[in-house]
Order: sequence, then structure tokens, then C-alpha cells
Amino acid sequence: MLVSKNKGTSLLRSSEKSSLLRFLALYFILVTMILLLLGIFYYQSQEKLMFSNQRTILSEYANRQVQALKQLHNDFPHRTIYPRSIKYRSAIYDIEGEKIFSLLKHDNIRFDKEIYRVGNSIHFLKTLDDYYLGAKYLFIEVDEDKAWYKETMSNILAFGTLTLIVLIIFGLFFVSIFLRPMRNSIVLLDNFIKDTTHELNTPISAILANVEMMDTSLMSEKNQKRLSRINIAAKTVSHLYQDLTYLTLSHNRKSKDEWIDMKQLIEDRVEYFAILAGAKKITFELDLKESAIFIDGIKIARVLDNLISNAIKYNKRNGKIFITLRKNYLQVKDTGIGIKSKKVNEIFERYTRFNSSEGGFGIGLNIVKSIIDEYDLQISVESIVDVGTTIRIDFTKGTLDG
Amino acid sequence: MVKKILLIGTVCTLFLGADEDKNVYERNCIPCHRYAPASLEKLFMVYLKTYSGELSLKGALKAFLKNPTEADSLMNNTFIENFSVKDKTTLTDEELDEAIDTYWELYDVRKKLK
Repeated sequence: MLVSKNKGTSLLRSSEKSSLLRFLALYFILVTMILLLLGIFYYQSQEKLMFSNQRTILSEYANRQVQALKQLHNDFPHRTIYPRSIKYRSAIYDIEGEKIFSLLKHDNIRFDKEIYRVGNSIHFLKTLDDYYLGAKYLFIEVDEDKAWYKETMSNILAFGTLTLIVLIIFGLFFVSIFLRPMRNSIVLLDNFIKDTTHELNTPISAILANVEMMDTSLMSEKNQKRLSRINIAAKTVSHLYQDLTYLTLSHNRKSKDEWIDMKQLIEDRVEYFAILAGAKKITFELDLKESAIFIDGIKIARVLDNLISNAIKYNKRNGKIFITLRKNYLQVKDTGIGIKSKKVNEIFERYTRFNSSEGGFGIGLNIVKSIIDEYDLQISVESIVDVGTTIRIDFTKGTLDG
Repeated sequence: MVKKILLIGTVCTLFLGADEDKNVYERNCIPCHRYAPASLEKLFMVYLKTYSGELSLKGALKAFLKNPTEADSLMNNTFIENFSVKDKTTLTDEELDEAIDTYWELYDVRKKLK
């Protein structure tokens, strides 16, 4: 058996992609948050270091200012000039937090911290034991040397970015490990389908050819029914074979686009599926106007076959299939079991089936979607449970007028 | 004789009228402290150094004036031994508040610092 490499399986499925993206987004957010926290801790530790360096100097300034205030208090009111220094600015506040005198650039002072940054300055608070001039709180203000800040921020940015990159590489590595079993199972299934496909062609062709050649006029009614069932079963397998062949072989072949008479094609495919539909007493109601699109014949046939076969497969007994063709769109509506609204977006996923009692691999609509996307057409699905499903394809591009 | 009587009467009236113009602080605090060894301004600075804020100072001063004790006095022992603790005030609460407010306004360092 030949196992050819299928391009379809080498690409991630959209569900796989979204899982991957979700995991990466979550991982990225978590890693960023952890790095941010580490950055904050590092910044705070550097700030503390800077404060502890400044504290010694500011404390000395404060003691110097206290001595000057004491002198002024004793000389008051003969001397009323508040003591000033070129090295620092200061302010005094009373026990009630009311300002007595201030030379500060930033008056938004804090009584709950000994040392803190405000604007481009550092404030140091000293609480006095003797309230000279009524001052309980003495604030010393100096301009901040921003060197530590620049160094800290550049360190955070450099190490943070580097760590983030390394952790993202690790994340991608882990994701590939986690996804490997899932990917392997998909590859296994694809390979199985590919291998099986090659074994189907000859027997199906033989069955269908022989059924067509049989002279039913000589058969009893019972045998005619049996032959009809064989025909249906063979066509079902043939349809599946066409899908599988498309997936494994045709999907990668070069498209041969040509003008396709959609009305004629629909009529042909409806006739082909008539026996299949008849088995469930499903009737077609066609409302077809002339329309032609520039597309690969095999591909548009796959689209039609899958839409019609799904409409039959998921329809109720004695149901109807309405096919409407207009110049710019094609609509296939059934009176079947319908799909829950939250599941509608998943119907184009490969191997997605909504009724396990029906046959198939769940690849039909995936093929439809891939062809629709290839030709930049629009597909929309509306479905109501127990009422039916309507699938509409808009093909504005590629029509004779388009 | 009549002139002398008129002159004495005029001077008395002026003095009485001048006394009425003075506020509670000037009438009740200054007269005694004028002769005290510690000026009112120095006492204010002592109170300020001890109580810091306006509300704290005014509250402490009012409490002391209403019930002066040796323990609450901010003066040193030598001062108290020589001059003893002052007598209780005879002023009402409102008058005391008014006198203390005037005292604060007069010596508040915020207005004088430059």
C-alpha cells in the first residue's frame, strides 16, 4: 500500500491552532505577569538601596536644620529669618499637620513614611522631640539623582526581554511536546484513510458499472429493490471515495478553472443522488436560474455533492431539499435534524460529525470549506434544531458578470 | 475750684472710656504679666515648644488657666518657688477663649517667619 504524504495533515487543524494560540496566550500572560512582579521587586529593592544611601546624608541635613531651628526659636522674635541651605530645602509642620513654614518644591508631603520620592525630589521626614517654633515634623527635600532609576529600568527591560524570549522558546518547545500525541493520532487516521482509499477504487467502479449494465426489466420487483439498494450503497461508497480521493490526491493537483454551468451541474448531481434520496422518500425542489462560475469542475462538483449528500444524510424521512440557484448564489436547504447554534461554527472541522448514527468520516464539509476558501467565496450556515439547515454559497467573484 | 473738679472728672471719664475699648486679653492678662519676670511672648514660645499646634496649645492653656497646678505649669521650680502658681481665672469660658485667641494671633510665628 502506498502512503503518500498529505499536505492537509502537515498543517495544523484550526482547533489545534486555536488550542495552541490559547495556550501560548495564557503562557505569555503568566510569564509576563511573573516577570512584571520580579521587575517590581527588583525595582523596589533598588529603590530601598538608594533610600538607605540617601538616608544618612538626609539625616545629617535634618540634624543641622534642627539646630538652626533651635537657635531661631531661642532668638525669636528678634530674628525671624527661616534657616536655609543650598544643599537642601526644608519645611516644618506642627503636631496637627498644619504648615508652619515651607521652602519645598513639592508640597504633597507624607507623614506616614520616613523617606519617599515625590516628583523629581526625595523627601525625608524627621519627627522632633522639642517643638521648636511649634514644629513637630521637619521635612528635608533634595533633588533626586536619576542615575539609579535609569540603570534599574534598563536592567529590568534588558533582563526582562531576554528572559521572556527564553521562556517563550521553552513554551513553544513544551507545546510541541504536548501536541505531538494529538498530531500523531490525526496523522495515523489520515494515513489509514489514504491507504484505504487506494483499495476502494476498483471494486466500487466494478459494482457501479455492473449495476448500470444490468437489465432490470427481467427482474422481479423484489430483486429490483435489492439492486436499487446495491446501487445506493455503491454510490454512497463512491461519494466517500470521491471525497477521500480529493483529500489525498486532487487537493494538491493544479486547478483547471473553467466556466461551469451551475444549473446543468446541479441537475446532473440531483439526478445522481435521486436514488439515494428516494430511499428516504426525500424529494428535491429546484428553483434554478442560469448561472455560471469560473472554477475547477471537480472541485465545484465536490462542493455540490457534499451539500446534497449531507442534506440527504441528515434529513428526515419524507423530507425535502430545496435547491435555489441565482446568478450570485447557491442555496441548499433541508428539512432535517438541524444543528445546535453553538456547534454551527464547528461543522467545517475535519472529522466532525453531528450524528454518529449516520455514516461518513466527517470530511465532507471540511472539503467544501477548503474549496470555498481557495476560491474566496462566502459560505454561511443557518440551522434550527429539528427544523433544518440552510447552507448558502455566495459566488460574486467569478460569475459571468463578476 | 470748679475748673479743678471739671478737670478731674474729664480725666476719670477718659480713663474709664479707654479701659472699655480694651479687649479681654488686654484687660485681664497684660496688667499682671507686665510686671512678671517672664514676658507673655517668652511664655508663648515655651507653650509653642511644648504643645506645637494651635488647637493643642489653646486647649492646654485654657485647661491650665481654669485649674492652674504646679504639675501642669511649664515654669521651672525656681520660678514657682519665688512666684508660686497663679490663681484660678475668674473669666468665663467665652472670655477665656477670646483672650487665648487674641494671644495666639498676637504671637503666632507663621505670620512672622520670613
